[in-house]
Amino acid sequence: MQAPLLQLRTINKYYGRSHILKDISFDIMDGEFLTLLGPSGCGKTTILRCIAGLEDINSGDILLKGRSIKDLAPNKRNVNTVFQNYALFPHLNVYDNVAYGPRVKKSMSEKELRKRVADVMELVQMSGYEERMPHQLSGGQRQRIAIARALINEPDILLLDEPLGALDLKLRKYMQTELAQLQKQTKTTFVYVTHDQEEALNMSDRIVVISEGELQQMGSPREIYNTPANLFVADFIGDRNIKKVQLLEKNQEYCKVMLGRSIIDIKCSECVEGPYSTGETTILAIHMDKMRISCDEIPNSLSGEVRLIHYAGSQIRTEVDVDGEIITVVEYQRNNCDYEIGDKVSVSWEESGAVLLPMEEDAGESNA
Amino acid sequence: MLKTKKIKQNAPVVPVLIWIGFLVGVPLIYVLALSFLSRDHLGNVVLEFTLDNYKRVVDPVYLKVFYSSFLLAALTGLITLLIGYPVAYFTANLESKKRSLAIILIILPFWISSLLRTYGWIILLGNTGLINNMLLKLNIIQQPLNMMYHFGTVLVGTTYMLIPFMIIAVFNSVGKLDRSLLEASYDLGASKWKTFFNITLPLTVPGIAGGFTLVFIPSLGMYFISDLLGGGMTIFLGNVINTQATRGRNKPLAAAFSVGMIVLVLIVLFIYSRVIRDKKEGLFL
Repeated sequence: MQAPLLQLRTINKYYGRSHILKDISFDIMDGEFLTLLGPSGCGKTTILRCIAGLEDINSGDILLKGRSIKDLAPNKRNVNTVFQNYALFPHLNVYDNVAYGPRVKKSMSEKELRKRVADVMELVQMSGYEERMPHQLSGGQRQRIAIARALINEPDILLLDEPLGALDLKLRKYMQTELAQLQKQTKTTFVYVTHDQEEALNMSDRIVVISEGELQQMGSPREIYNTPANLFVADFIGDRNIKKVQLLEKNQEYCKVMLGRSIIDIKCSECVEGPYSTGETTILAIHMDKMRISCDEIPNSLSGEVRLIHYAGSQIRTEVDVDGEIITVVEYQRNNCDYEIGDKVSVSWEESGAVLLPMEEDAGESNA
Repeated sequence: MLKTKKIKQNAPVVPVLIWIGFLVGVPLIYVLALSFLSRDHLGNVVLEFTLDNYKRVVDPVYLKVFYSSFLLAALTGLITLLIGYPVAYFTANLESKKRSLAIILIILPFWISSLLRTYGWIILLGNTGLINNMLLKLNIIQQPLNMMYHFGTVLVGTTYMLIPFMIIAVFNSVGKLDRSLLEASYDLGASKWKTFFNITLPLTVPGIAGGFTLVFIPSLGMYFISDLLGGGMTIFLGNVINTQATRGRNKPLAAAFSVGMIVLVLIVLFIYSRVIRDKKEGLFL
């Protein structure tokens, strides 16, 4: 296996007395698109700034290509950042902005530089805008220039701090595809910070989920989505029904749990290995959009009464009262059953949509 | 119909216009009119049109006064910039509590009469002043240094008096600077010095230009400083106007010099507005 490009080793960071990063360790492989995902204030931007050298770390180490860079000033690290507000120099035109890095490092002649600028401008599809001033550009165009200004330095890693945050929804979706393409095209390692799970799931090779300065889970978008490591990830990624259940029995194939008065089997290999034993309370988390409502009684389902039907664009969100617990089901079409408020229905789900998780001390704070 | 609406809309501006008219417009017109009038042998102004006052203003002797005034104001601007910029820069980068304290300390001298503060310099620089006494006692010099009554002494006075304006102007400009621009510059490989010269300095040019204007204009008129510290050895515009308006009993000539000073100020303001406009288009530096 190839050696990682960047290694973070038990990084700790304090601001005064508050502990911002707690023993953060992970590796970034060459050429991958890695996303740091978490709610605002979780420390993901701080990690990015530590890699860039804009913040010092209190303990731990950062290795780039096997060499420690933690004591190097930001201008000595071969990583570049695309800032959240783009931070284009307002007194310089687009050409001078893009040419800034090579010029201050005196890394190439002006003639060579002209060619390089032309190349990166073409890469970000902004050829012809060289003479414009930053304030004459739209948000999306500024972002492209910010990326060009960073990429011209051929960084080992490109750090992107919520670069799509300021764009409107349509442009954001479009830029997601663009960024992913750009990453494949330039074979540059991207470390991308966002609080938007959809962005993370769409673009990344791997996702690192962070909450309150702690690494929660690291894995492919599929792993993160389908098999959350803990309650936080289950709650943060996707829309799930999260319910406390009683574990009645567990064996090689399934776990038998009780929700309200219904007894159901949860089939998943991970649940069997879970750190919980018979008789304990555990957490059942089911993706809302992997659930179905049927009018007939079906085995291994929850039966309840329809409380609310809400049409939200292409989705139908239905709330079902199962013995006092509200289960929300998201469907894209009605399944062979025309239910109305007050009807008795059965709620079932795809096997891959449900996971069992151990209880956590602060589980009460989640929206269970 | 439309006309009454327009009048109603503009009504709130009227008191302001009257106010400005009385405080700025009337005195200006008065000075301008006065500068074209004559005086009799007793020094009373008589209503008789003449260009003699302006002929005297452009007399080589007085043009030299314009030159030395311009030199004094420009040098005051330059020195306050060189000393004030670092002070403003570091003050703006202090944490907020220390920053407020520093600003109070910078403004504090304003609470003392400027005349008193100018006398303070005489106590320091005079032949029997603090500095000379100390140097004599330490046997570093045998004769008191003659530090008073030079062009340089006046320059020290105006610089001291006006430096807070420069500091505050640059301070505001540095404070408004977007920190992420500096971080972007480091990130792209620039050292702290290169970042200062490529990013901080060009982006604080409006503050520098503002501070320079705020220092330049008053230093043209601070005649009491050149009276007290310069001893009348070098004559500046402010002194000429003061002398002609009072002891010289020649108000029309004083008015003509005032108009000359206003023209000088307008030239500086014109340059200032050009610098600011170019800044917006990003063409400066």
